Amino acid sequence: MLFEEIDRVKQDFDQDIKEADSDKKLELIRIKYLSRKGLVTQLFGQLKSVPKADKPSVGKKLNSLRQEITAAFNNLKLKYGGDDKVSSAAIDLTLPGSKYKTGSKHLLIQTLDEIKNIFKGMGFSVYEGPELESDFYNFEALNFPPDHPARDMQDTFFVSDDFVLRTHTTPVQIRIMEKLKPPVRGIMPGRVYRNEAISARSFCMFHQVDGIYVDTDVTFAELKGTLVSFAKQFYGTDLKYRFRPSYFPFTEPSAEMDITCYICKGKGCRVCKKTGWLEILGCGMVDPNVFKHVDYDSEKYTGYAFGMGIERIAMLKYGIDDIRMFFENDHRFLKQF
Amino acid sequence: MNISLHWLKDYVNLDGISTEDIVDKLTMAGLEVEDYTDQNKKYSTLVVGKVKNVNKHPNADRLTVCSVFDGKEDLQIVCGAPNVKAGQIVALASVGVFIPKANFKIEKAKIRGVESFGMICAEDELELSDDHSGIMVLNDDLVPGTLLNEALQLNDVLLDIAITPNRPDALSHIGVARDAAAIFNRDLKLPKIDLNESQKEAKDYASIEIEDKINCPRYTAKVVTNLTIKESPEWLKNKLKSIGLRPINNVVDVTNFVAMELGQPLHAFDLDLLAKKKIIIKSTETKKKFTTLDSKERELDKHTLMICDGEKEVAIAGVMGGENSEVAESTKNILIESAYFNPKSIRKTSRKLQLVTDSSYRFERGTDPSNTLYASQRAAQLISEVAGGEVAKDHIDIYPSRIKNKEIIIRFQRIKKILGFDVPKTEVVKIFNRLGINIIKDLSDSLEVVVPTYRPDIEREVDLIEEVARIYGYNKIPAVSKIGITMEKRDDESLFTDEVRNCAVMMGLKEILNNPLISEFLAKITGKPIKISNPQSRDMAYLRTSLTIAALQTVANNINKGEKDLSLFEIGNVFNTTNENLKSFGDISEKRKLLLLLTGKKDERSWNTDEKSYDFYDLKGLVNSFFSKFSLDNLLNDTYNSSEKSIYEYYFSKNFNDDVVAVGGKVSKNALDLFDIEQDVYSFEIDLDKIFEIKTEKRKYTEPLKYPKINRDFAFIFNKSVTYEVVTNFILEQSSGILKEVEIFDIFESKDLGEDSKSMAFSLEYFDYNKTLTDEEVENDFKNLIKKITEKFNAILRGN
Repeated sequence: MLFEEIDRVKQDFDQDIKEADSDKKLELIRIKYLSRKGLVTQLFGQLKSVPKADKPSVGKKLNSLRQEITAAFNNLKLKYGGDDKVSSAAIDLTLPGSKYKTGSKHLLIQTLDEIKNIFKGMGFSVYEGPELESDFYNFEALNFPPDHPARDMQDTFFVSDDFVLRTHTTPVQIRIMEKLKPPVRGIMPGRVYRNEAISARSFCMFHQVDGIYVDTDVTFAELKGTLVSFAKQFYGTDLKYRFRPSYFPFTEPSAEMDITCYICKGKGCRVCKKTGWLEILGCGMVDPNVFKHVDYDSEKYTGYAFGMGIERIAMLKYGIDDIRMFFENDHRFLKQF
Repeated sequence: MNISLHWLKDYVNLDGISTEDIVDKLTMAGLEVEDYTDQNKKYSTLVVGKVKNVNKHPNADRLTVCSVFDGKEDLQIVCGAPNVKAGQIVALASVGVFIPKANFKIEKAKIRGVESFGMICAEDELELSDDHSGIMVLNDDLVPGTLLNEALQLNDVLLDIAITPNRPDALSHIGVARDAAAIFNRDLKLPKIDLNESQKEAKDYASIEIEDKINCPRYTAKVVTNLTIKESPEWLKNKLKSIGLRPINNVVDVTNFVAMELGQPLHAFDLDLLAKKKIIIKSTETKKKFTTLDSKERELDKHTLMICDGEKEVAIAGVMGGENSEVAESTKNILIESAYFNPKSIRKTSRKLQLVTDSSYRFERGTDPSNTLYASQRAAQLISEVAGGEVAKDHIDIYPSRIKNKEIIIRFQRIKKILGFDVPKTEVVKIFNRLGINIIKDLSDSLEVVVPTYRPDIEREVDLIEEVARIYGYNKIPAVSKIGITMEKRDDESLFTDEVRNCAVMMGLKEILNNPLISEFLAKITGKPIKISNPQSRDMAYLRTSLTIAALQTVANNINKGEKDLSLFEIGNVFNTTNENLKSFGDISEKRKLLLLLTGKKDERSWNTDEKSYDFYDLKGLVNSFFSKFSLDNLLNDTYNSSEKSIYEYYFSKNFNDDVVAVGGKVSKNALDLFDIEQDVYSFEIDLDKIFEIKTEKRKYTEPLKYPKINRDFAFIFNKSVTYEVVTNFILEQSSGILKEVEIFDIFESKDLGEDSKSMAFSLEYFDYNKTLTDEEVENDFKNLIKKITEKFNAILRGN
């Protein structure tokens, strides 16, 4: 008996809710069914008189009735509810929002982070070292003998006979190898200094990331594979590259890595000096003389090393044509990145 | 190094190989061609023209209006050259032609009211020489309309090769030809010596003695007599000009030519100016002055290697000759020096004198000690060809201890270990043969080789491996596609700095990076700075001792550009010294710091906010947020204005025990005046090295409070001298312990309160971690506090 009543209430409700197309009509439905004296409440009141045996099933049916009605009602309430409480005319939504200041990392640091993440993913640790460095770490241990023309490759700021502002982050390689036994695999980001005339293309300081991997079976082929992987992750997978012989006192053989100029796609332009190639880093196999300074047995261990300048990479990537922009800290520049 | 392809082809046949291929292959073998000029392309846009008539420009005295025949028609051209005359054959650039030197394209133009349809070129405009005295006048027999490259036979290709410091052998045409021959598998052709020598021997004309045998291992000389100094023939002048050298006279030109051909620097002395016809090579014993052939007087250090005659110095060995023995027009007899000097000695001298010459550049990198005789013979032969005279028989060659060729063993297994793949033995053998590296023993799994003396860079097995890789081709070495990664713990020493940076970014600050090189004056304001021995300028002669001082320039620059509202941070190192003369790392203090800087408006005026400028409390709040982010807020205590000397008008410090770990405040007007900054600047510097040491590694979860909080407020009128901190501490001390937080929510002064008074209103937060507090408990504590405060500070409770 109550069963049938429940079904009837449900049918009535289904009919009513179909016609409900405003908040007002919804409110009438609420009163009719869901209020304290509403039909659903009344039905629950009748539960008392149901025989004990039927109670669970009737109760269950009642509960589901209430759930269905409430759900259907709430659905429409979201749609029509409040439509005459807040009219969209009362608030001018076109007014500008409040201003929030956002912080930002320097563009060079953002670029460095990207590089760091790629190498960390390939199993590299991250090491740091001082900017004011001894001649031993900056040059001698890296196989730049005193009075050797190789020293001319890096215009150096001296602070005394024995100390310089480091000209590259490569000395951190020595510091790490002094501390650790192979395998050693790490990158060394940091700031370096060169006594070069300040212009759009060069500044008295810039940032580098050096890297080194020393173990029993490290080869030039692995160096190539690792750096190609880096370049593809950083510059895109369709990249073309080449390794070209070069010279650094601390590596032998030494190479420079070029990638196709992504401004002209290799056709030759002003940026790549019409060669179609852009040099992105220097690298090579660690020179046995370097191992000598850190007491590594160069018969047993081999290693590769590489280094790249962050400014150059960021300039190419973001189309910045003056390196000084990085250190002028023009707020209009900072806000862009 | 400038290399002429024509010249190069004198020694190696490169027929059938395109310029592009030569450029590419040299680059890929380590002789990086940075740039090259194909003259054919460069000059084929210009033509030979004939000046038909020259008239005065109606509106300008110095200009003429010319009619120039370009082979097809007559062009009207306004010309400014003083030497233009009717009938001349000239180099003509018509409308549309690009002029390399000036970097512009010729356009139809009106010059002082007269139309001009081209340009008659001077030598410098075509980059043929530095001459800009007038237009270039060509040979009469050239036919107008002929392309300029054909008419002047400008069909060379000029290569600009970046030679790395380890390759002195490649600092010459034959050196590059040797690599080209190896790369393209062609034969190297060295010039044959065919001397027609006189009866009298060289040693009858002069004698040579080496005193400093360490710095001058070998000295070879040839003598040529009865020659005539004059202009060099065209072929010689053109060769030198093609690589950018200026012809001087036939003898000097030959020495320069041979230097660029063989890489052996030569010097010609006027034999008649050598006292006692003697050459002595020795180092100076005292400092002295010497005038070089460029007429400059130079200060020589002690131990400078010199070439002397029987009485005096006549040349700075390996660097530059002296004015006193220079070959001049009157010279009849010469001695040609062809020596091998110790690279270190030459480099020291050259650096000391700050004089780098083509000669010193080659000697300091290492010339070929085995080549001095050949070079002197080559020079003598060419001199006799272009200057006449007789070559004296034989030569003088002092070579007390022969420099030996290096013998090295290279193992095939080692090639594989370094490169990661096997280079076939036949390839290795071929490469060595082509590079002049002699195999003396084939031990099946290794080779024993002899390295030529022109390759001082090849000293070890690994150097030979590089030669193999270089010629075989780096691109043939496979790139592995898988690597092994260690399972051991990895380090990241930049982690803490990155955390600090992220925190600063979260707080809405923008990162800046300043140049750490600043002036002495600025560096000394905030510390004991370290001086740069060789600074670029006085503004950049010292390392910064604080981040603030260097950052103020950034603030000033931005204000000048209209960017006045700044909230910035910088992470960087500052440098101080304890000892002026830096000898060890102990004398240096290099510390990593974080700078927080606020200036200008915090909130801009807007429809829903009022304008508000940054103040001291914004800085303090920022600093406290930073430290709480690192859970350090409870470990540090604050002190205020604790020392006399400071760049701040007022400031506060954060201390760990008694150690100051951070300090900052409102930058003083005196400091701001240095940068003409007129708005308030607040800055704070945190010593990150110290913070790193004291920061606790472990952060632990605290369960959120389960019981309700009860709040009470009160306000008192205090004497003005009573500080917030004193009252707050007193309240916390006096409370029964259920009071957990005290916050000030209002502070003001007014006439009504009286001159010496101020009102401070506090909000108190009561709760217990283990139970719900009753109103009674709170009320008792609250009332007790009111009583205590009233008594202690003689304060008056407000509002009740």
